[in-house]
Amino acid sequence: MNDDIRPNRLLQVVAYAVAILTSLLFLYPYWWMLVSAFRPTRAIMSAPLRPWPETLNFQIFSEIGRIGGVNLSTYAVNSLAITTLSTILGVIVTALGAYALVRRPKAPGFTLVRYGFLITIMYPYMLLVIPVYLVMFKLGLLGSYAGIILFLALGPLQFFLFEQFFRKIPNEVIEAAVIDGASEWQILTRVVLPMAMPITATVALITFLLNWAQWFPIMVISRSPDTYTLPVALLSMNSELGSNFQGIMALAVLTTLPVAALFLLAQKRVMEGMAAGAVKG
Amino acid sequence: MMDALGSLSRDRIFYLFVAPFAALTILFGVWPIVLSIQVSFTASATALRPNPTYVGFANYIAVLADPIFLASLSRTLLYTVLSVFANLAFALGFAILLDSTLLKRGNLFFRLAIFLPVITPDVAGYVVWRWLFDRSFGAINAALKMLGLPAFGGLSSVDTAMLSILIAELWHHAGFYMIIFLANLSIRDRALEEAAHIDGATTWQRWWYVILPQLRPALVINTVYALIQFLKTFTVVVVMTKGGPNDQTNFVSYYAYQLFDQARYGEATAMATILFAIVIGLSLTAYRIGDREPGK
Repeated sequence: MNDDIRPNRLLQVVAYAVAILTSLLFLYPYWWMLVSAFRPTRAIMSAPLRPWPETLNFQIFSEIGRIGGVNLSTYAVNSLAITTLSTILGVIVTALGAYALVRRPKAPGFTLVRYGFLITIMYPYMLLVIPVYLVMFKLGLLGSYAGIILFLALGPLQFFLFEQFFRKIPNEVIEAAVIDGASEWQILTRVVLPMAMPITATVALITFLLNWAQWFPIMVISRSPDTYTLPVALLSMNSELGSNFQGIMALAVLTTLPVAALFLLAQKRVMEGMAAGAVKG
Repeated sequence: MMDALGSLSRDRIFYLFVAPFAALTILFGVWPIVLSIQVSFTASATALRPNPTYVGFANYIAVLADPIFLASLSRTLLYTVLSVFANLAFALGFAILLDSTLLKRGNLFFRLAIFLPVITPDVAGYVVWRWLFDRSFGAINAALKMLGLPAFGGLSSVDTAMLSILIAELWHHAGFYMIIFLANLSIRDRALEEAAHIDGATTWQRWWYVILPQLRPALVINTVYALIQFLKTFTVVVVMTKGGPNDQTNFVSYYAYQLFDQARYGEATAMATILFAIVIGLSLTAYRIGDREPGK
């Protein structure tokens, strides 16, 4: 037992060396991105490893004020609006759907809905987005915010988290409310929802982080850059010939910073939630 | 009779609850999948018309006879096997390290460092990696040069392009698999280890015979997730290589997308269906193998 309590010194040194080195390697791309956003392209070419910028100059953010004929602020507002609205919609729709499927697993048609959803999440996502283009066209939603938001609303992790939570609610709790004469609506709003507040917060947080990163459906459903978000703008800037390297790094910083900050503020909830959502019942 | 009516209305509200979820699933999941499968049986030129010409399995036959597709499929499978193995080995190794008593201080920092890329928008992450690998801008070759090591071909060499995107994808995904292993490690039965220790088991034996079998749930889940993830590899190719050099990273998702872009809808959707079948087949196999033996 002794060697468990006081581990071998040498082993500990090796463990720390490995952990620190790996962590620094994982974090280095962030540092390099941040530093490169403040260095002129020519300076990066001559000294790519310089660990900090020559001068702290924020001018690049006004230089990339317009990308692809659209204001940078438009992309930022799109990102915020599309992510927030699709998160709110997704949380409500998924919570209600998962709740119904858990409470009445054998109701006619419910199994079909479940299977339909499971098949959808197995389908190669990129290849699903292409026929979605045709569906959006048929629904007249092509190029609209509504189309983008509706498509981004559902996700597997969100569904599994809610499903898992509702399954864990003891039957007696619901039965007691039924005996007390509560209607299903009352059971939902007065018994289940108050219990579900923490999981709802977790799902909302994770959905926000995941939807912020979305790019392909947004690019496909959009008809012009007017509905692009930051990652899509970043991708189109990166694909241009004769790229503005410093500008790309500055835009990458803007795309990463909000979600990285949000994650660091709520890291415990995010990591536990993501692990739980993957390990479904 | 009254009872039946009562239960009917009790059920009816659940249909109301499920309706928006079902609507979104059907509109943006089931319908496009059905549409895609339908298109895979039509001639590309007529695919989008109201009355397309059905050509049976002609698209599938064309795809399976297409040498570029077959090469793309075998590279996709190779990449998937390598990535699943590399990601799970890294994630498991790091999870074991973090779970051990060796790293008491700084544990949270290490966890955050490995997990941060998971929530970093993949486009942003891969854009940075693309330039890190760059011959003239990139930090990687500059560092190798400084250390006196030979240059790394990165994305422009046929020998190293696949390895380069594997590294970038590992950076983005491994943290996710790691926290699943960590969650599994934290709920294991530690009494068994003490018993093994008392029985004189070595550290190695304890790991191999006592701890690893208890990690089976996480191993199965991670294998299935990683299989699905890497079979579909797409974003990293779009951002970093566009399928090149010399088709080395032209995986099925990307190739199908290119065909779609050229309005070869029939073949593109036939490829999608084939990839879908492979994803489902492999995932079910992994689940089955994982469930067969006791330990869960």
